[in-house]
Amino acid sequence: MKKTSTRSPLLNIAWVHLISKKRQTIVAMLGVMFGVTVFIFQAGLLTGLQSYFIEKTVNTTAHVHIYNDVRVARPNVLDLESDTAGTWTMVRNQKPRDEERRLRNGYQILREIERDARVEGVAPYLGLQGILRYGMSQQAGTLAGIDVQREDQLFHVADNLIAGELVRMETLPNAVILGSGLAEKLGARLNDNITVISSRGVSLDMKVVGISKTGITLQDNTRAYISIRNAQRLLQQSAAYITDINVRLREVDIAQSIATEYQNVFGYKAEDWKAANANVFGIFRIQNLTVSFVIISILVVSGFGIFNILMTIIYEKMPDIAILKAMGYRDRDIRRVFLIESIAIGTTGGLLGLLLGFITSKIVGMIPLNIQGFVSVQYLIINFNPLFYLAAFGFALVSTTVAGYFPARKAARFDPVEIIRSR
Amino acid sequence: MGSPIITATHVTKTFTEPVEFKVLNDISLTVDRGEFVVLVGPSGSGKTTLMYTLSTLDTEYDGTISIDGVDIRGLGKDAVADFRNSMIGFVFQFHYLLPDFTVLQNVMLPAQRRGILSAEEMEDRAMKTLSMLGVADQATKKSSKLSGGQQQRVAIARALINEPKIIFGDEPTGNLDTKNTGLVLDILNELKAEFNQTILMVTHDVQFARRADRIISIRDGRIVDNEEHYSPSSH
Repeated sequence: MKKTSTRSPLLNIAWVHLISKKRQTIVAMLGVMFGVTVFIFQAGLLTGLQSYFIEKTVNTTAHVHIYNDVRVARPNVLDLESDTAGTWTMVRNQKPRDEERRLRNGYQILREIERDARVEGVAPYLGLQGILRYGMSQQAGTLAGIDVQREDQLFHVADNLIAGELVRMETLPNAVILGSGLAEKLGARLNDNITVISSRGVSLDMKVVGISKTGITLQDNTRAYISIRNAQRLLQQSAAYITDINVRLREVDIAQSIATEYQNVFGYKAEDWKAANANVFGIFRIQNLTVSFVIISILVVSGFGIFNILMTIIYEKMPDIAILKAMGYRDRDIRRVFLIESIAIGTTGGLLGLLLGFITSKIVGMIPLNIQGFVSVQYLIINFNPLFYLAAFGFALVSTTVAGYFPARKAARFDPVEIIRSR
Repeated sequence: MGSPIITATHVTKTFTEPVEFKVLNDISLTVDRGEFVVLVGPSGSGKTTLMYTLSTLDTEYDGTISIDGVDIRGLGKDAVADFRNSMIGFVFQFHYLLPDFTVLQNVMLPAQRRGILSAEEMEDRAMKTLSMLGVADQATKKSSKLSGGQQQRVAIARALINEPKIIFGDEPTGNLDTKNTGLVLDILNELKAEFNQTILMVTHDVQFARRADRIISIRDGRIVDNEEHYSPSSH
């Protein structure tokens, strides 16, 4: 008793109010808790999958991809002649030149890039669309013509093999590594002989020397690795013919600036990995937006819960408010009582939500799910970034404070005379 | 009896709803220190409104009211609250104790707001006041567990805790039986006799009015009678 009597009266009053409305207080707290839990879980799940995808992408695609973008509009030919700023020129109907997809001096560019200290590795690439046939089954696929050693250095091809050996790509003249999904659809297994047909009508008999699984579903379902020489044969081209150069950097973050630099130096389109995956990042943005919306709605709803309980308390405790004002409590004291109440609900609910969010994430992260989607994973990857916990708690506090502010202000504005005289 | 503690000059208060009429019509009066004044009048006469304006709870009026030399309307809202906290005690028809608080906590509330005493001093003074009113033994009980007469005595203790200059009452015995009414009246008389406490009460209780130094009769917002009809000694 002594202890409570020395406590600040405002805290005491707030505490008594909440205790006297136990059930409603708990429901309001659960509302906040739920909002925070969903926040933590959703954000962790979403960013977990996204960063997994990014990590996979960073490991399996080129940081900078150089290719001949034949759609690039040519600059006005007259501008090339007269560079004076005051001159205005126009050329009508300037069509794109009929250009090959090849990179001229491709290998020369490759060697030059290789000398760049910022570069970890560089590999040539010649890709084409083709048909893979195994007996009666037939699948369209992307035939990736690669320099096996360089490609492995860049993308760790060997690590992704779930069957076979990479070295046989070099020892066998007609070897192919199939993506796991592609192999499955084709019905082909290790050491089976399949036929590969190009759009030029060239066909090659090849032996499956490996099955590769990167975890990125699209790649695994369509890609087959062949040697760059075989790709050239399928396209009836010479040994210098390559269409792409893939560059792997020591620092992923500078990809964009290096891409710009290479584009200027070599005159071919150079694209960094983020730009190459712009569609995926676009989907991420939409996902994030959707989830943010869900989270915000939950927190708004829990805010209404708090608003509701405080309104109930305020109308029930009108005589208390009146007498407190009569004995000289200021408007702001009254406001504070109800703000304390809403913040108490927010804090407790928030902390419980953090705990429950953490536990939920942990448990869900332990359930084997074997998802085949954008990426294929065995377990859900959940991000435990402490920033989410901070943000969730912050949001909970802000929404409960806002929800509590209006009832608190209302209580502070009550006219004590009116209340006392109406009894 | 000495200097006036409340001075009201030309106080007029107009209600516009539902129709415009003057609840208080040009009222001027003074209350001296240590005086026990009772406001009487039929319901709707404006006596209660006058009490609330004089007690600083209602600040919407024309004219001036000064208490202890301070013009109330010259103060801001917070300053009025502070002024009320240290200068004025209230006893209403209903006790208005916070039901989930103990008797002691209830009595200490105005002192805690004022914040000039330490927790021990506050408790000490609260206990002294409670024992003066004969309810010290109830201190640790929840206020809702007390009888009506006890609750009203606790309410008086709460009104006294900050040693206010004036006690205002709105029918403080209106909800009590004869025995408890007598008790409350005795207490108020004792406060006046022993501590020279200024008291201003609204009532239509004849027993109550008889004990006052002065009875002010209000009718239609005007003072119709303002005389020292009875004095406690002459009775």
